[in-house]
Amino acid sequence: MNILETVRLALLQIWAQKLKSFFTLLGVIIGVTFLIAVIAVVEGMNRYVQDDFAGSIFGINTLRVERVRTRNTGREDAATLRRQSRNPDLTVDDAEAIAANVPGIWYLAYATDRFMPEVWSGSNRRKNVRLLGVTDEYLALQGWDVLEGRGISRIDHVRGIRVAVIGDAIAERVFPDGSPVGQHIRLGPFRYRVVGVLKKQGGLIGNIRDASVVVPLGAYHADFARRRARIEEINIKFRTTEEMEAGEAVVIEVLRRRHRLRPADEDDFGIESASQILDAWEKVKNVLLAALPGLVSVALVVGGIVIMNIMLMSVLQRTREVGVRKALGARRIDITRQFLAEAATLSSVGAAIGIGAGWGLAELVDLITPLPAAVSAWSILVAIALGVVVGVVAGVYPALRAARLDPVDALRYE
Amino acid sequence: MNPPDSAIILTEGLTKDYVLGAETVHALRDVDIRIDRGDFVAIMGHSGSGKSTLLNLIGCLDTPTAGKYWLNGQEVSTLDDNELAHIRNREIGFVFQTFNLLPRTTALHNVELPLIYAGVSAKERKATASRALDAVGLADRMKHQPAELSGGERQRVAIARALVNEPSIVLADEPTGNLDSSTSAEIMEIIVKMNERGETIIVVTHEQDIAQYADRLIGLRDGFIERDERRATSSLA
Repeated sequence: MNILETVRLALLQIWAQKLKSFFTLLGVIIGVTFLIAVIAVVEGMNRYVQDDFAGSIFGINTLRVERVRTRNTGREDAATLRRQSRNPDLTVDDAEAIAANVPGIWYLAYATDRFMPEVWSGSNRRKNVRLLGVTDEYLALQGWDVLEGRGISRIDHVRGIRVAVIGDAIAERVFPDGSPVGQHIRLGPFRYRVVGVLKKQGGLIGNIRDASVVVPLGAYHADFARRRARIEEINIKFRTTEEMEAGEAVVIEVLRRRHRLRPADEDDFGIESASQILDAWEKVKNVLLAALPGLVSVALVVGGIVIMNIMLMSVLQRTREVGVRKALGARRIDITRQFLAEAATLSSVGAAIGIGAGWGLAELVDLITPLPAAVSAWSILVAIALGVVVGVVAGVYPALRAARLDPVDALRYE
Repeated sequence: MNPPDSAIILTEGLTKDYVLGAETVHALRDVDIRIDRGDFVAIMGHSGSGKSTLLNLIGCLDTPTAGKYWLNGQEVSTLDDNELAHIRNREIGFVFQTFNLLPRTTALHNVELPLIYAGVSAKERKATASRALDAVGLADRMKHQPAELSGGERQRVAIARALVNEPSIVLADEPTGNLDSSTSAEIMEIIVKMNERGETIIVVTHEQDIAQYADRLIGLRDGFIERDERRATSSLA
């Protein structure tokens, strides 16, 4: 029997008895809905945590060294806080020592920053600006794309040239008409030539980047710093998490030696990476993903059993049809195939409905909760495959029973 | 032993026993029949006479307990399930008392079924099935489902289905049992015409009227052949 024809007939039968079909398929629908929705939420969270959240604060596989941990756990006692306040400033020499001694570094950049009440050009001004003095690899390391013009070069940094790359919000306010590139911007008494504009950040994390003016560290130190060698942060990016973890130990070693700490002393600097956040998320994700197959398979097994029962009933009701088909020349394999195709069609329809429902659920979660959900292509493929497999497995026994019917008995069946 | 060319059905000591609990029912005992190409045979008998059993054996729906059966020169009493399915598909056309059309599908699809199991391509299938329906006067009913057809029309669909694979024999089991007398006559007309075109036909019936259409009458009683007579004149309307 032609498979397509069988599928078409099965679909007609499903449509003819919509309510019954719905209840028949409920197990499969629920299972697949769960599968699609949970994977969508987990994948969405995953992407968010890795790309946006952790990435925008630290960058992936990036260590940040600071004088004091910016993100304290909130459980530090008074003695720790007092000790932290005595930590020495980080210096350019600290950063260069790390660059010289730590293996596997991909990018290394250091920076310092301060608050500027305003920047202006002509009569246009923008208030409350973050001024950043950075080394040449800083923008690349942070993943800040330059939309127009260029970034900060090595020569800018070393020679202390007065150039600036400005954030989107500043470009909009200070240079409302025309391109800022090539124009000059006033920072206090100094004139800086704008060489680039940063791509707009916007979004969930806020817009610190959009309100920043980035200048070469050399120029910053010359024009704005009271202590020339002082820096706020050293960022070190590695290619892999393994290299980062190995590198972290060496960074600590280098700084402890430079700061002449004894083995018993606590670190007098803060070092952080995105991996702590990622670790925590990884744990949550693993719990979700471990629970999922259990949930889904319970629903699918129940769904499969219901389909099997319905198919057994269908075989009984259509005993005569089987007899007629056999009289007309259907072999056992033809009958088996027919009922298997029916069962597979039935449960695939369930899977399709489940995919739709799961997708809807994911969109709903995305819309009304802060959880970002993204339906992934592979989960849909898995769902379709599961639909077919559940149908075929559930259909085997009824199909074999139909195929084994004796034609004489089947034709006589009332 | 090889049957002569003209014999389409030849049985030798055909026997069928059913075991029902402790009892063995001898449904058919030692039956020798020879039916030639182009014959129109009526098998008669009361219920329990063995006529249905004989029809099932001839139709390859069942296998004999003992004895031999040659269909079209091939011994079929020893064939397995799949081979029997093949024989039923190619050599035998069935017409049933209750029509046995598949519900919820069109007349055309019903007629296509034997062609589907013969592995005929969809396009050729449609053309062949349409021709078969046309031949029984149902060209305008092809897209109708059985529920939308009258009894006579349903049986004509069944006849088209029986003929569509050009079988060696057509087996009709009480073909008019569920029809009124005028429709019965109509159906028998068609069967007679089929025979006149050269089809070999075996009709099982308990109605004398229907048996009258046949050229040869085989009477069964208690599993034995009671009589086997050929009428001198050809069939009449």
